Amino acid sequence: MLSRLLFGPSRPGIEALRPLLYRIAFAWCHDAALADDLVQEALSKGWKRRAQLRDEAALKAWMVSIMNHCWLDHLRSRRDFDDIEDWQDELESAADAPEVRCDRERVIACVREAVARLPLGQRQVLTLVDLEEFSYADVAAILDIPVGTVMSRLSRARASLKSLLNPALQQSAVQPLLRRVK
Amino acid sequence: MKHVVSDERLHAFIDGELDVAESETLIARMQQDPVLAQRVCALRNLRSMVRLAYAEPPVVGARPSVHRRRWMQRCAFGCLVLLVGLSGGWALRGVAWQASVTQPAVVPDGYRTVSLAREADPDRIILHIDSAAPEKMRAALDRADQLLDDADRQGRTMQLEVIANSHGLDLLRAGQSPYAERIARMSRRHANLQWVACGQTIARITGEGQKVELLPAARTAPSAIGEIITRLQQGWTYVQI
Repeated sequence: MLSRLLFGPSRPGIEALRPLLYRIAFAWCHDAALADDLVQEALSKGWKRRAQLRDEAALKAWMVSIMNHCWLDHLRSRRDFDDIEDWQDELESAADAPEVRCDRERVIACVREAVARLPLGQRQVLTLVDLEEFSYADVAAILDIPVGTVMSRLSRARASLKSLLNPALQQSAVQPLLRRVK
Repeated sequence: MKHVVSDERLHAFIDGELDVAESETLIARMQQDPVLAQRVCALRNLRSMVRLAYAEPPVVGARPSVHRRRWMQRCAFGCLVLLVGLSGGWALRGVAWQASVTQPAVVPDGYRTVSLAREADPDRIILHIDSAAPEKMRAALDRADQLLDDADRQGRTMQLEVIANSHGLDLLRAGQSPYAERIARMSRRHANLQWVACGQTIARITGEGQKVELLPAARTAPSAIGEIITRLQQGWTYVQI
């Protein structure tokens, strides 16, 4: 609150990105509290480093890139991995397969669960492209990876999603639908 | 037949990464190739589902909500009003007593009176009873009768509320009240006389397994304290029996 009063005019511009950043952060970690922390950290870092941003139009991609670093820092502190590259393609979750828990009313929960099961690198590319419509080049710059990797990760992410979701959605289409009558 | 279009290419197409010429070529092929069109459609569906899934991410519950803070503020304000009223009434009790000497029976002497207005309003009075002692009940009814009769004689329109809570609720309970008939009689005589029972007390007694039935003249307020604060804020004078 105090910082908002003290800081200058460009603060609202950065602050306005909060919902967007939060959506992305939540899609990455699927943990509301953690996502909120990440956004907060990214916003304050972004504000401190605002002098480094030359092009105002790139603010969105620049802020997401900062948040990506916050996220990777968090993961490094959580697990004792020295090399993130090694596990960027690992499966994150070993929870129930989404098709077990899905029904028609819960497509949203189902998709979230499927996305959460994607390897970290794929999850990031997919959410940046699908949720915020970043170009492949932007995503490559944000995540600091080659464009070719963006394309291959996106392709694998969507293929996995399709195979994770299709059985679930077909199952619910075949089964008779139960509705609660109030 | 041309070669099969790769998934990567289709992804680039739906994400708007292909240039115009490439897109147009692909669109032309889709019109002749239902399988290809189906693949594109499925990919677009997938993308819409992902968007839908994160359209409304859950809000973080850790921060105190605005409503809660407002509620706390109201609560604090209510307490402040009550405190100011009580201490003000206590400090002014001598003044009120003097006033009752010059203007007899407007404000009952010998009782604590509280008002938020600069001068106690003699025409809008709350009588609060919280004791089941029969003499207290009788005193409350006598006082109410006296105030209303004086007002009638002087041609004033008076509003009077008798608020009962805690043990005082017995005054308004059917089957328990020793003055049920007198209350009914008073209600018939005075149109502006109201009997108010405390909802919280009723809930508590009900919770203890007893059934609470009120006299037909009585109404229920959510809580006696709330009712008293509301009336004080409206400028009523408060008298505790």
